[in-house]
Order: sequence, then structure tokens, then C-alpha cells
Amino acid sequence: MTETTYDVLIIGSGHAGGMAAKILTEKGIHCLMLNAGPVADVARDAQRKPAYELPYRGFKPPGRLEHVFQASEFNANVWVDEKEVPYTFDPSMPYNWVRVRLFGGRSLFWSRQSFRLSDYEFKGKSHDGFGEDWPISLADLAPYYSRVEDIFQVEGAQDGPPQMPNGNFVPVNEVWSESMQRFIKASQPYNMAVCKQRRALGRDGLASSVNLLLPDAERTGKLTSIANAVVRQITVDKNTGQPNGCLFVDRLSRREMHVKARVVVLAAGTLESTRLLLNSNLGNSSGMIGHYLMDQIYGPGITCSVPEARNGKATKQLMGGGAIVPRFRNITTKYDKFLRGYALNVTSRMGAIEPRNFAAYGAELQQKLKEYNGSAFHITVMGEVLGRYENHVRIDKEKVDAWDIPVLNIQTKYTDNEFNMAKDAVEVGCAVADAAGFEVLSKNDVPNPPGYSIHEVGTCRMGDDPKKSVLNKWCQSHDHKNLFVVDGASFVSAGWQNPTMTILALSMRASEYLASEMSKQNV
Amino acid sequence: MLRRDFVRAVVSVGLLPKALLAQQTANPAPPPPAPVPWTLGLNPKTPLPVTEAADGIAETEASFFTSTQLATFTRLCDLLLPPLDSKPGALQAGTPMFLDFLIGSSPMPRKKVYSGGLDWLDAASKTKYKLPFAQLNATQADALIKPWLRTWMTDHPPTEQHADFINIAHEDIRVATMNSKAWDDAGVAAGQDWVTGGLYWSPIEPDMAGLGTTSTQLPPHVMAVPKAPHSIPSYPR
Repeated sequence: MTETTYDVLIIGSGHAGGMAAKILTEKGIHCLMLNAGPVADVARDAQRKPAYELPYRGFKPPGRLEHVFQASEFNANVWVDEKEVPYTFDPSMPYNWVRVRLFGGRSLFWSRQSFRLSDYEFKGKSHDGFGEDWPISLADLAPYYSRVEDIFQVEGAQDGPPQMPNGNFVPVNEVWSESMQRFIKASQPYNMAVCKQRRALGRDGLASSVNLLLPDAERTGKLTSIANAVVRQITVDKNTGQPNGCLFVDRLSRREMHVKARVVVLAAGTLESTRLLLNSNLGNSSGMIGHYLMDQIYGPGITCSVPEARNGKATKQLMGGGAIVPRFRNITTKYDKFLRGYALNVTSRMGAIEPRNFAAYGAELQQKLKEYNGSAFHITVMGEVLGRYENHVRIDKEKVDAWDIPVLNIQTKYTDNEFNMAKDAVEVGCAVADAAGFEVLSKNDVPNPPGYSIHEVGTCRMGDDPKKSVLNKWCQSHDHKNLFVVDGASFVSAGWQNPTMTILALSMRASEYLASEMSKQNV
Repeated sequence: MLRRDFVRAVVSVGLLPKALLAQQTANPAPPPPAPVPWTLGLNPKTPLPVTEAADGIAETEASFFTSTQLATFTRLCDLLLPPLDSKPGALQAGTPMFLDFLIGSSPMPRKKVYSGGLDWLDAASKTKYKLPFAQLNATQADALIKPWLRTWMTDHPPTEQHADFINIAHEDIRVATMNSKAWDDAGVAAGQDWVTGGLYWSPIEPDMAGLGTTSTQLPPHVMAVPKAPHSIPSYPR
């Protein structure tokens, strides 16, 4: 059998890999996509069941997904099993690495919140002196954001302040409910912009690589995909030293295989791409691979009740709707408790309130649940985590996964900046809720462990200086011109924003650059 | 040439054209070993046997809680979630025995919260009332429980000692009860669809030979033929 050399090898099939496949194949480039897990078919693999038919009555299977707070017994089989693909950390610095290896990756399951970064993120250092500026600005990425927003059918209003740039949105027309109007009025002393939520509607109820990106690539006839291909190492040409393919192991048979390609595009998800580079000992002349791991603080927030909506009096005029309050600290003035800032997700809801919001049990609790039903008002926090050199990952030399691939050791923790931010957010949330006449039922000002937001970014950051960064502004390795990393690993700062739109826009931009360089035979 | 060899040769010549043609097929199907190949027969019209979940039918023995802890926990379950309206309480839902199984299967920190919490509760009861917690009336038990109830947000149960146990156990007791068959049966009796339902994902192309926790104990799916003690030859694959 003659070995085929593909034009481009894409490792990963989520938003980043799917976008690379779409763009490159539409330019006539032959791509081979490898994904570490199988294809999920909801008709074949899922069915509605009562909880009591499951071995653990719906509780998360004990010990299997300890760090996936999002898991339940119903969805336990869609996440990466921590025993099968472990990672290590110091017990004093827990990390929640939440992974999906199904074809389409985490694009199958995401919250759909869709924001652009602003120049407060791209040029953060210029604004406040911390960290590094990105080598690109909003103006560089804006045209790509627009195209991504069109593909993903992002719904939103053109109501964003400069720190939450507007975009190419499907207009949202809902009017604020009375409870939201009360929140808006009460928030005025803080100079908050209370904006309509921005979310990807997608198509047919899904906004994923598997329905919005991969079908376009497959239609070109230029995409070949292999499932269950667990990549062990990127290979290099012994003469040129440049990447030329990869070794992978078939997940089911454990058969070792390899493929060849002229260009390698990593899109395995921030930490898996970084793990692969470290295990391949590739692209790290700067020594920066693995450093500056960031995400956002999640977990802090408050749950309130709108008194007028209790005892069955909730109406659609009074309750319902959601808002996003973009970062408002350190924009026009300098705040002395922390750098950067946080956003608030605000939700008014007519459903049930969770029992943990009442210090009661039995009949008394039942009465409270009945009385408060329909009156919930939630404020949750998404705060920027600063990029720090010491927050890093490296290869654990002592431990391997189920395929004998060395695992990651993750060493990251939050600092006073993040903890102070969480406290401030909850204080502000409580004050605004109080001014709006809401009753605060429960609150939490302690962030969940790093990783919980599933927004891990950084560890292969981009930059103009090859000594201080891993990638250039095109997501291309400084060391190897035929090696690209198009997922969240390239981020220079995390921002408060959900990263998906930026990952998609960066992957689109990098892929168009790659196609252009290939056509000029520069790569 | 023996007669039977002659006959065989004649038959072979007669079959030759067919045999030549057959060579054009890469892999001719092997002759069937029996009138119906054993894997055939099941089809989409095959009726599926109706089965029930064992939970709610079968009984179990406690394997994690000591008898004192189980008695304490049973009283706590009845106190925190008694039968209300048309719904069963924690005891009717078999919650104490289910949580004995769940907690007993869980990592050590969760086990410690429960065993430590139950021992503390019983000791506190004996100190205050000279009675085990299992024998307290509702007013007495309430006086021990109420001070430790807290409000809290998702994934952030209280970390304060005793409050951690009371609030975590309270939530576990509620979830275990509301996800029980008894709870669903009460819903069905009231004309509701099963309320505990959700979209359950089966293992997707599970890795049978893998090292995942779910498959660690499974043998490889293709077994070598074990060495037989008798003279029939084996053919390891």
C-alpha cells in the first residue's frame, strides 16, 4: 500500500478543528482529521430513562468523574473518564479538567454564550500594564468574528459598550421583564451596562462543529476523518526537522499507526494540544509551552427571590429573561482591589427554586418551595483570571494514560486578584439585589477550582517575540512554519468572555492564512 | 485407480466450471454449521421481554454503615424527608439502604463526611438527651439538626464541620428519594409521566479491552482458548 501524504493533518474535531477543516477544504486542500473518540449518535447511543433504572439513581458514578462537577449518571459516558485519561496535580491545588473526546468534542455541549473580546483584552497590557498585549487587535479579528457569528447564528442586540463589541447578530427583540427593569435601575450607581444576552442559536437546536462546520468540509470531498485515533506524538522529518505527520494508536484495537502530512494543525483543545507538543518535544524553543494557563472564575454568585412573584403570582410581565453585564471595573476608572474585572450573568426565572436556598427541611421546606416557586433571580459571576508564568502544565514522568501516553501535571491556582474579584462581585450583586427589592436567599464568594468554567486557554500563547511566545499572530509555530495551534492555547489573556467565538475566529483566520501560504508554496 | 477415486474425479470434472467461476468471488461464504446461523433471528420485530429495576423489588443488607450508624441515618432520613402530600418519604423510597450502597462505593472523603457525621449526631444526642438519635422524637431531633442547616449555592456545600454533613446528607437524601421508583410510582398514580427521567447516554463504542474503571475487570473480548486437561487440541488465537 502506498502511503498517502495529506496536505494538512488536523488533530481534533471540535470548534477549532471543524473550522480549520471547513476553511482549508473549501480552498481545495486535502485534509485528514483525527479524533480521539467515537462518533456520538443520539438515536443509537441515548434514550430517555427514569433515574431509578440507573445503577446510582442518577447520582454521578462514584469516583469516576470526580472533577467533572457538570456530570450526572445520565451523561457520565460522554465525558473523558479520569481513570482512563488521568492528569495529576498537587492536592492543595485542585484542577477540574473537563473533557469530551466524542467527534465534535466540547462543541457538542456548550452554553452558547457568544462574545467578542475587546481591545481591553487584546491590548490589556497597554491599558493597565499587566501581562502582554496580543499581537493582534479587535480590528484584525472583527471580520472573522462577523463570519463566525453568521455561521453560528448568534442572537443579540447592538447594545454593547466598548468592552463588549457589537457584532453580526440575529436581532433579539424581547423586552425586559419588570424584575429585569428593577435590576437595571438598581445597578445604575455602579455604571454597569446591562445588555441583552448573546447566544449562538445554531441550526436545528445545535451549534456545533458536527452540524455547522464539518458538513461543509465533507461536501468538498476533500476531508478524510478517522475516529478513535488517539495521537501519541507528532513526527518530524529526519532530514528537515519539520513536522510530517503523527503516530496514533487506535483506541479500540490498540494498534499503532501513523499518517503523513505536509502541515500539522493542532485543534485538540487547549491542554491536549499542549500535552501533545510537550510529548513530541516540539516547537518549544521559547520554553513557554505549558505556561500562562488561564480560565475564568466560576461559582461565585447569588440566588434571590422577587417577593412580588411568590405565592403563584409570577407572570411573564414580572419574571423572565436574561442579561449580560460586561466587565465594568477598571474600564474608565482604576479600581484598587484588583486588576481587570468580571461580568455578571443575570437570569430571571419562573421555575422552581432549589431546596438548598432554604435552611429548612420536611414540611416547612415543602411550604417554602411552594411559596417561592416562580420567583427566582440569579446573578452569577465570570471573572478574568490573570495570565501568570507560574500557572503551568508539564508532562508527568511517572504516569501514563490507558494508551501509555504520558499525562499532564497541572500546577495552577488563583491569587488574591481572583479571590478579591469574586468577593467584590458578590458584594455588588447583593447590594443591587437589595436595592431592587429582591431577597437574597444564598450567596457564594469562593470560586470553584480552576478549570471548572471549561474555558481553559493559554499555554501556547501567541506573540511577535519568539523568545516570549510559542506562536506568531497567525497561530503558527515560531519554530516550525508547518505547525499551527488553532484552539484556545494561543490566548494571551483570558478576558471575562466565553472563549468560543474567539477560538472560532482565530481558527478561521489562521486557516485562511495557511491556505494562502500553501498556495504561494511558502508552507 | 480405486473406484471411489474414479467417481470423485468424474464429479470434480463436472463441477470444474462452477469452481472456476466461484474463484472470482474473493471470499466465498463458509458452509453453514447448522440449519440457521446462530446470530440470525433477532430482528426489529422481535418482542422485547419486559423487565423491572431490581431497586424497589429486592432487599439489600447494609454494607457500609454500622448498625448504629444505619439506625441514626434512618431516623435522619425520616426526619428530613417524611411522606408529604401524595409523595413517599425517604424511608418508603428505600433511601437509607441506597445511600449505604452509594456512599460505600464513594471515595474516602465522602465516606468520612457520612460516618463522622452520623457518629457525631448520635454522640450529640446521647450527651443532650441520654438517648441514641434513632430514638429521639421530632422536637428533640430538630433541636440538634436545625442549628446546622445553611443556605448554599451549587457545588459549594458548607465546609464547616457538622454543617457539611447535615446539608450534604439532606441534599443526597432528597435526590435519592426523588429519583426512586416509589417517587415515580406516586407520580404515575397521580397521572404524571415518570418525573425522574432524563436522556441517558450509554457507553459509546466502549473500549472493552481498556483500562477504564468500568471495564477493568472485564476479560479481553477475544479469548485465547484455555489449555484443556484432555487431549482435544486447542488453537490459541
